Amino acid sequence: MFKEKVIHFYDKNYKKLLILPMLLLVLSIAQIAYQVYSTGDFINKGTSLKGGSVISISTETDVAVIREFLDERFPGQGINVRSITDTGRQIGVTIDTPAQTDEEITPILAALRERVQFGDDDITVEITGSSLGSSFFRQTFTALIIAFILMSLVVFLYFRMFVPSIAVVLAGFSDLVETVAIFNLTGYELSTAGIAAFLMLIGYFVDANILLTSRVLKRREGTFLDRFKGAFTTGMTMITATFAAVIAALIFTNSPVVREIMVILSIGLVVDVINTWVQNAAILRIYLEKDSTHKDAHHSHGGHHE
Amino acid sequence: MLIILTVATMSKLGKIFRSWRVLLLLFFLVCAIIAIRPSPGNDGVVIRSVLDNSSAALAGIQSPKPSGPLGYEHITSIDDSEIETLEDYVRATESLQPGNTVRIVTDTAAYVLDVPNIGINETVNLGLKVAPAATSNLRKGLDIAGGSRVLLKPQEEVTDQDMIIIIESLTQRLNVYGLSDVVIRDATDLSGAQFISIEIAGVTEDEVRDVVARQGKFEAKISNDTVFVGGNKDVSYVCRTAECSGLDPQRGCGQIDSETWSCGFFFSISLSPEAAQRQAEATKKLSVVAEGGQRYLDHPLELYLDDKLVDTLNIAADLKGQAATSIQISGAGAGRTQQEAAQDALDGMKRLQTILITGSLPVKLSIEKMDTISPLLGEQFLRNIVLVGFISLAAIGLVVVLRYRTPKVVVPMMLMLVAEVILTLGFAAVVGWNLDIASMAGIIITIGTAVDHLIVITDETLRGAGSDDWNKKMKFAMFIVFGAYATDFAGMIPLWFAGAGLLKGFAFTSIVGISFGVIIARPAYAAILKLLYEE
Repeated sequence: MFKEKVIHFYDKNYKKLLILPMLLLVLSIAQIAYQVYSTGDFINKGTSLKGGSVISISTETDVAVIREFLDERFPGQGINVRSITDTGRQIGVTIDTPAQTDEEITPILAALRERVQFGDDDITVEITGSSLGSSFFRQTFTALIIAFILMSLVVFLYFRMFVPSIAVVLAGFSDLVETVAIFNLTGYELSTAGIAAFLMLIGYFVDANILLTSRVLKRREGTFLDRFKGAFTTGMTMITATFAAVIAALIFTNSPVVREIMVILSIGLVVDVINTWVQNAAILRIYLEKDSTHKDAHHSHGGHHE
Repeated sequence: MLIILTVATMSKLGKIFRSWRVLLLLFFLVCAIIAIRPSPGNDGVVIRSVLDNSSAALAGIQSPKPSGPLGYEHITSIDDSEIETLEDYVRATESLQPGNTVRIVTDTAAYVLDVPNIGINETVNLGLKVAPAATSNLRKGLDIAGGSRVLLKPQEEVTDQDMIIIIESLTQRLNVYGLSDVVIRDATDLSGAQFISIEIAGVTEDEVRDVVARQGKFEAKISNDTVFVGGNKDVSYVCRTAECSGLDPQRGCGQIDSETWSCGFFFSISLSPEAAQRQAEATKKLSVVAEGGQRYLDHPLELYLDDKLVDTLNIAADLKGQAATSIQISGAGAGRTQQEAAQDALDGMKRLQTILITGSLPVKLSIEKMDTISPLLGEQFLRNIVLVGFISLAAIGLVVVLRYRTPKVVVPMMLMLVAEVILTLGFAAVVGWNLDIASMAGIIITIGTAVDHLIVITDETLRGAGSDDWNKKMKFAMFIVFGAYATDFAGMIPLWFAGAGLLKGFAFTSIVGISFGVIIARPAYAAILKLLYEE
């Protein structure tokens, strides 16, 4: 009964619902504009993209103790300490520092040795020069854009219809922009692995959008709503399964890299529901209705001529 | 009734194993498992590399060139105590007495090594680098196995030929340090910038990273005339044994002030006849001076490393105009204590020897990225990733059980997900791919798209409205799957080339995984569904 009502509501208001993804896109663009204005970058960049070093130590010494110690020893140097946890237990700490050369890092490591017990095997030091960090970011960002263009081309070749292809590309674009904006709001910092997560996201949105577009365009039986409902059930199963996996990983992972990937994926999956099933579906429906009235008009015109 | 059902299921199972798509999948799975060669019982300690001129090398232990992670030589016992873990090895070698011999038995041979004398503040170093044995043919990436990664960038554009020379020189330099377990390759990014990536397995000393990044332009000058430079054209031999290299007994160590000690080192080298001739020409013009009872030439031999003066050597008067081929090089190290100064001198000596042997690199290199990764943290991440993988699979399983509520869909679906992971890992084992954390992310995306596509196939074939024609429904399902595949594939291509190869692993496993999935596993799943549901 409730389900019927929802479907009925959707059927009547699908055009008005378009406000939702549009508003989300506009707000996201505003957030990103603000981010650029206040930080100079459109996304929160982490150490591996800005340049600096990440020191990870396997230790049970409490993260707060280490943080306080380093703050006292190196005040105002932008040293940031996080904990690595495994099922709730701290197994280590990660320290982000702006230090980029051996000379800068050695005193930090020496200070750490005074306070924390660790051997050569217990420590990971990753140093990224700022030029590599920024060129890496530029590069992968370019790769992301090229990837996006290539994917759009494939979609065009596959469906050979302008509006539906543009709709898929628009949904993908909105997914990326909105995920970036929400990611900025979470306060997480993007690392190289995070960029991989954005690519994964493209993979997922492609699956959902191609499913929807194929179903409503290539199948001609039933009404649009029937075909949409069928695709929606499948799409929801897909996204629930992926979401369940992502949330499970988010809870159980101890790796900051995996956590970052999963945070980005979970944001992306949620905004993708709106962009695919509200935005793209409505555009396709409007397109098909226009198309059929156009065809009908053409047909009747032809008939008249005879 | 029950019996009839079972018979029906049995005959369907029989049909499934006669379907060529399923057989193809099974064939590839078997190949993948053979390639991965899981060997959980393969414990113990293996030899990863052997230091040049070390006791181990002199006893005939060869630096390994294994065909795969399982191909290393196992140490089975040291002096009759069995070696099963890394701790056993450390315990057995710690107690060795200098001057004695030690018997090391491996799975292929037995060796007798002389236990070397140890310097100040040193532990016995037999020259062996060991590691726990691998339990499968899968190569772990550096961020999991631990080790050092250095990304270098030439300061100016280099030709392909120069790049080869750089890589060869770097390989040789690392070999001088006894590191053969090293991967050096060139990499580029989308803008055409050149990089050199060096990956060294295991814990590496700081000075190794220092020596690879140096251009190492060595010049010996007499009154601004270059007499000889580093490299085998001018320097035909560099002594590295105890008889003709080490801490300088004449200069010794001394305290400079309350906080600084200094120690001298020396080693002898042989010059090529041409270089010796140049030296003779240069010394001919000099005049002799007397100083403290000894007679020297009025200009010293000045040693420059990367355009910095590192040492000044007086030339004995009797060498004037002589084409002497044997020369003694010296230098000094400093430190807060005598031990530190001695260590610094020996490190400096080794660096200079290395540079004299390998010569200068054609260009200066800058360090863009330098990572030292703890094997323990890496191991923890790996174990956790495997755990997370299983939990995520279970979560997916739960969702599909709730949605489809029949083992006829859920069981083949879950089996396919596992199969796709095995196929991807199998391919990685065949091509010797190093599985790093980025590669793991690629496997996650494979599972992600696999779930999506299997659900599409299920819904299209089981619930697809209208047509009862299985082939038609299947064709439509595969239309969606291939569309998504082509798009994903296109998206991964630029990543392969971007960012000095740091995300190549991600592109590799996701392309391989999705390809195997779409071409082999997912069609097999569709075939199984058809056989299970077709009347």
